[in-house]
Amino acid sequence: MNRRVAIITGASKGLGRALALSFAKEGYALGICARGEEKLEDAASELEELGGEVVAVRADVTESSDVERFVSIVEDRFGGIDVLINNASKFGPGPTLLADYPTDAFRDVIETNIMNPFLVTKRVLPGMLAQKQGSIINVTSEVGKYGVAEWGAYSVSKFGVEGLSAIWADELEGSGVRVNVVDPGEMDTVMHETALPDCDYELADPADVVDVFLHLATSKDNGERFEAQSFDAKGASV
Amino acid sequence: MHAFSIPENLNAQTPAEIVRGRRDQVRLLSIDKDQQLFHNNFNEIDQFLNPGDLLVLNNSRTIPPVLEASQGNHTFEIRLSRKRSSTSWEALVVGDFLAIDRPIQLEEKVEAMITGHGSEHPLVTLEFSISGSNLLDFIYRNGEPVRYEYIHRPFSLDTYQTVYGSVPGSVEMPSAGRAFTWGLLEKLKRKGVRLAFIQLHAGLSYYEKDRWPNPNNHPEAFCVPEATAELIQDTRRTGNRVIAVGTTVVRALESAVTSHGEVEPIEGTTRLYVDEGYTIAAVDGLLTGFHEPEASHLHMLTAFLPKKKLMSAYHQALEKGYLWHEFGDMNLILK
Repeated sequence: MNRRVAIITGASKGLGRALALSFAKEGYALGICARGEEKLEDAASELEELGGEVVAVRADVTESSDVERFVSIVEDRFGGIDVLINNASKFGPGPTLLADYPTDAFRDVIETNIMNPFLVTKRVLPGMLAQKQGSIINVTSEVGKYGVAEWGAYSVSKFGVEGLSAIWADELEGSGVRVNVVDPGEMDTVMHETALPDCDYELADPADVVDVFLHLATSKDNGERFEAQSFDAKGASV
Repeated sequence: MHAFSIPENLNAQTPAEIVRGRRDQVRLLSIDKDQQLFHNNFNEIDQFLNPGDLLVLNNSRTIPPVLEASQGNHTFEIRLSRKRSSTSWEALVVGDFLAIDRPIQLEEKVEAMITGHGSEHPLVTLEFSISGSNLLDFIYRNGEPVRYEYIHRPFSLDTYQTVYGSVPGSVEMPSAGRAFTWGLLEKLKRKGVRLAFIQLHAGLSYYEKDRWPNPNNHPEAFCVPEATAELIQDTRRTGNRVIAVGTTVVRALESAVTSHGEVEPIEGTTRLYVDEGYTIAAVDGLLTGFHEPEASHLHMLTAFLPKKKLMSAYHQALEKGYLWHEFGDMNLILK
């Protein structure tokens, strides 16, 4: 089967939706999932209007049974997966000092944001390893590299995602399957509004940060960290 | 055909990773080409493989095929066995007599009609009211793995997967490769053992009430990809061995043998029955579990080893307490 297939988690809004649209425009067949059915169906309809082939599955990717169902349905429909973008994540409460952070919310954000790329990657890997190729792109954040006050569990979880990605990239070196992380930078999304409600500077449109993801879908990079807003669309990280 | 019985305490009831922390912590009984027996831990399997040998694995992934069903107040169980089309499956109905001219009610108002006999008694064909990805989604959300009577805990679907399973479609786990971890497969690759994959979607292995599938009437969908066929040809050309991980792999590869004795890429359905009288053409060794006396899988083993030797090995396995079934110990037979 020559058609390339990408799956994107949390694809019903924000960056995930922008990524789904850009990959569909590039001719990828798409498997997308989100927790909310209505927005997911909207996204699927929009992709189909572009002429894209789409499998949209309502799924909570922090649940391994949902991950199994989502990835299996996509593999059954398209025969394999070339690109996985682990985009789904949650922010938790707005700006909060760690010392004030509710314990249950902290646990929930850490579990959601770290478990979901672990589970989805683990499920997608066997197919990629059998075909000796695949690109896994994990979405991180500037606060996954620098500790910044009041970014709380979200920031801690993104440090975790970067660690998970680095370990997996090392373990998969030479296998044909590549793992990289992308910091999309600050974007005009609901999540950013939660994180910085009083933001008074201009934010990027999610549609403007997709080039680096398209680059990584087919490049040779492994174990690299990219910043989307300083990525040169011609192929070089600047 | 084969006279032995499996004592209750030799039914593996729990996966090794739960009992001993890792799925490769099972035992390995190896029988070499001189029919000598060796007893090892499974993670020592590298001792029996040489650089250049090709391990062929079935990367079909297990789906949860057991569905609750009803007609009026009468409830029963459906076990899917083989996909026939985007709306139709062959299935086993476990329970009392059904009205065949009335729809079967499933969860979420999904319905199925019995449209005829399956490939062999007692299977039937079912036509569902939903199709394609929606039907698969429904099966995942409502189905359970097949758990036979020696399993006393409701292990999740994850438990019924090999680490390398990828292509959904088997209704029972192709369990011969269950004990492999990625770490062990990497160890074998570092030694120079090569890996290749086929897909064969395993159907039900038991129809209840002492009824067993006859391979001649038990078609299974399979695929031998081009890259795998090439690796097999290359392995044989260079005098190395092709080791099938599981009877499903033997069935798929032997179904792909041309009249010139070469393995070709192929996708289709096989009814091949490999037993004592069959001459194996594509495979030099088989890694498998321990099988029940009635199972056709056991008949296949006699194509690799004389029946007397096989029974002698099985009696030693019984004496030494090897464990049977999908969570059990492993048996490597080299020709």
